[in-house]
Amino acid sequence: METTDFSQPIRQSAKGIIVIFVFNLFKFFKKFLVFFIAFGIQVIRKKSFGGVTPTMMYLGLIAMLVFLLIFAILKYLNFKFHLSKDDFHLATGIINKDNTIIPKSKIQNVYIKQNFLQQLINVVSLKIETAGDKKSEIEISALDKPTALLLKKRLFNKISVESEEVEQIETVEKQNIFFRVTPKRLLLEGLSQNHFKSFLLIVTFGYGIYNESKDFLEALELEKHVEGIVNLDETDLFNLIITNVILVIAVVLFSFLFSVAKTFIINFNLEVVENQKTIEINKGLFNKVSLSLTPSRIQNLVITTNRVKQYFGLYSMSVKQAMVNAKQQKNFKIVALEKDQLNYLTNKLLSDYNREGETGKPQPYFVLISALGMLFFIVLANALALFLFGIDMLWINVIYLPFAMFYVYFEYKKSYYIISNNFATLGSGVIDTTTNILETHKIQAIKLKQTIFQKRRGIASVVISTASKSVTIPYVSKSEALSIYNFLLYKVESQDKDWM
Amino acid sequence: MNFTNLEIQAEDLPKVEELVLKPISKSYLKIIALNKLAIYAALIGLVFGFWYFIEKEDNIQFNLWYVLSAVLVLCILNFIISVLAFKKRAYAIREHDVVYAKGLIVHSVTTVPISRIQHVEESRSWLARYFGLATLKIFTAGEAGSDLSIQGLPHLEAKQIKEVISSEINGNN
Repeated sequence: METTDFSQPIRQSAKGIIVIFVFNLFKFFKKFLVFFIAFGIQVIRKKSFGGVTPTMMYLGLIAMLVFLLIFAILKYLNFKFHLSKDDFHLATGIINKDNTIIPKSKIQNVYIKQNFLQQLINVVSLKIETAGDKKSEIEISALDKPTALLLKKRLFNKISVESEEVEQIETVEKQNIFFRVTPKRLLLEGLSQNHFKSFLLIVTFGYGIYNESKDFLEALELEKHVEGIVNLDETDLFNLIITNVILVIAVVLFSFLFSVAKTFIINFNLEVVENQKTIEINKGLFNKVSLSLTPSRIQNLVITTNRVKQYFGLYSMSVKQAMVNAKQQKNFKIVALEKDQLNYLTNKLLSDYNREGETGKPQPYFVLISALGMLFFIVLANALALFLFGIDMLWINVIYLPFAMFYVYFEYKKSYYIISNNFATLGSGVIDTTTNILETHKIQAIKLKQTIFQKRRGIASVVISTASKSVTIPYVSKSEALSIYNFLLYKVESQDKDWM
Repeated sequence: MNFTNLEIQAEDLPKVEELVLKPISKSYLKIIALNKLAIYAALIGLVFGFWYFIEKEDNIQFNLWYVLSAVLVLCILNFIISVLAFKKRAYAIREHDVVYAKGLIVHSVTTVPISRIQHVEESRSWLARYFGLATLKIFTAGEAGSDLSIQGLPHLEAKQIKEVISSEINGNN
């Protein structure tokens, strides 16, 4: 491997011009597309519009492209970066020169990404994130992969690497591909997802399209046609029901397909690489991403599964880190893990994780609140059904009521908490089974919450906040809540451990 | 249920419930009252404005006195609750943490360990300046949920607390 010298200011790969050009072109068209279409159609139709002939328009378009290309080339030429002993230097700007210096110790995350275009021309982009506001991100959009990897390694190395010996030790560093997802497991993962969400999404989407195209349909006089079908005799009521059933099945199938496709695109070739200190996640079909996890920065672990997934042995783990923006946070999710892989990973990320300690359940008050919520939902749904379809629709309660009972039952059943010496483990979920784990020394604040109604019953909730997420232990007895409160505070304040 | 299987007895831990919280300055009630009254005045003004516009149209039934009394009752209820809730606002600074309690209908007691505080801020609106009060804002690294904002502290005290916490944070580094 040809080693790149980062100590001298260098440019990115020349292919960067293409990336910058296409990116700007895309951005440009996104902004002015409507305008262009409107203007273009006017010009082509009328041969001339405000003194602009089609030829002039095409010439203008070409000039625009050339301008963007020159802009991209200039931007490329003026984009130089290098590494000094402790800092990363970046010089940008065509007219206004910017010189950015980031101390290596302040770098929070380094991502390697590859979108579709970058995959085609075989370059990757490297993103450097620092703590603080979102604008402090730096993206180098075209590097060949070995250079990017080397740069990433150098950025994380706080002590500058000068001698070649160290270099060699680095390359020898154990890289163990710990987990690689198989297509079969991804398929199972996609199929066994909670389809309610995608179902609802598709229904609303379909409804939206129907509403939008209503006028259009009317214009085509389809409405009459449809009405003609609907208003046929009662013998055709059966047909109508069949049509509806088929429609529902089609939507369900579609939402299945949607879920599977989504799972495949996001998690294609998902790979978890175990380094000495960090864990690396690589995944994606059109947008390849490569992310590193640093155990010290992890705030919460969220493990989700459900009945069906449990049967197939599929577990997902989301890692919530501090100082990561919301968009990236989503990417820190590993799906389709097996049980022992999950346990291994949990132990790697949280050393000595255990669930010692008594398992606590919320008070029966939890059921009351949950049932009240469901009751509200059912009343609302009934009112809506009555309003829209008349008294006949009340039979829908035959479905609602058992569903509501199951919902409340499972919600209570799956809710629990374990406060052990160094960890707090919380269970929740209805259809999904969610396990939330956090280390007690990473707590940022604790809150005791009690409504005026709970006061009489002596019930309270505890909200535990870390730097990335707040979790709630719902509706425990006041004394229990206070003892959890005091214990966790004691844990945070008595140890002199850093939260990051 | 308690934590008997752990090495520390839960009874020996410092207890937040035994802590005597200090109420915030009485003058802050005046600020709350003034703010609330301004909002109520705006609301009532809105009702009158609405009435003025709609009066000219015959087909819409709009009984001014019903609506006005409904709004007034809501305002009075809201005011009573705010005054009662005011008594619930209390705070305490312990050796290792800051405790703040508030809320009547949803009462909450939040504790932020001093070692987790990122920075402290003291801000004063012009009304607060007039009454010699200040708001102490405590920021942690967490989401918005874990930040504290203690309103209605006497200015001098807010300043002192800020100094104490700041020196504590810097001392730790």
